[in-house]
Amino acid sequence: MDLLLWLEETAFSTWMRESGPAFFSTLVLHSVAMGFVVGVHVATNLRILGAAPRIPLSLMSRFFPVLWVNLVVVSLSGVLLLVAYPTKALTNPVFYLKLTAVVAALFITRSFMKGVLQDPPTDAGRAAGRDRMLAALSLLLWAGAVTAGRLLAYTYNTLMASHLY
Amino acid sequence: MDALLDFSQKSGIYDFMHSTWGWPAVETLHFMGLSLLIGTVGLFDLRMLGLAKGIPMNALHRLVPWGVGGYALNVMTGVMFVTSAPDQYLFNPAFQVKLALMGIAGINVLLFYRFPFDRVRRADAEADAPRAAKVAAAISLCCWIGVIVCGRLITYYRPPYHWCFWC
Repeated sequence: MDLLLWLEETAFSTWMRESGPAFFSTLVLHSVAMGFVVGVHVATNLRILGAAPRIPLSLMSRFFPVLWVNLVVVSLSGVLLLVAYPTKALTNPVFYLKLTAVVAALFITRSFMKGVLQDPPTDAGRAAGRDRMLAALSLLLWAGAVTAGRLLAYTYNTLMASHLY
Repeated sequence: MDALLDFSQKSGIYDFMHSTWGWPAVETLHFMGLSLLIGTVGLFDLRMLGLAKGIPMNALHRLVPWGVGGYALNVMTGVMFVTSAPDQYLFNPAFQVKLALMGIAGINVLLFYRFPFDRVRRADAEADAPRAAKVAAAISLCCWIGVIVCGRLITYYRPPYHWCFWC
């Protein structure tokens, strides 16, 4: 708690909180980049599940530069939002649920990149049963991450550590 | 405005939205719809702009109905927001700009399917999209990103404490 108190009293954290444009533009970047990160995953997982069957599975990763750029933006803006209100997120279990869902989903993506998206048995049609199951799980995890992210604005129990003193 | 509120109250939407978890739940669906739209229409636009050549535009277009589904979800959830707190929206310049951008995106869609779509559909996997399709793709991406930005602005600057150059 002392660490959180120190962090939220730093000049940078205060500025992130109190400067309207800084906080707002970070929030906007986080939302738009989320759209692309989740969006590329939606498209990839739908393709693995059998939608748009004539997209070659082995070429789907050509969209991944979009994913990586936006993953960097979403992470950096996420860290900035965390610096603005560290206590609000870190004392909320929902925040850890969100992080867990994102990390688990990214592990699935990594396994796809070494498997079905790199060297698929067939380039057309739906993927094997195991991959389809993982794709469905990935969609669920992203839905969970989006839900948890939205709920962060409603479920926190302490906005700032200084409020506890 | 009264008509909107009336619709919301009589249909039960109002009570649901103002219950403990109503508003956040519908917001979550709105975010999921946004992701569906960006992930399908957004990627199709990026392919027309030259990214991921090798993926046939025709094959990628098969994902677009999922984006239309996301759009429909967001129109429904959007109506739930607006009718349950119309004063927060109608007088909010961010909402007005958002509607205008959606209008532009809509006209853009009509023009795209009327003119360059046929050539896009018949193009080879490695092909560059026709110039008109590229213009439509750029307009589409800008509009939808602008719609997301405005959507966030709506809740961040609430009337009457908003900035507004014309109202």
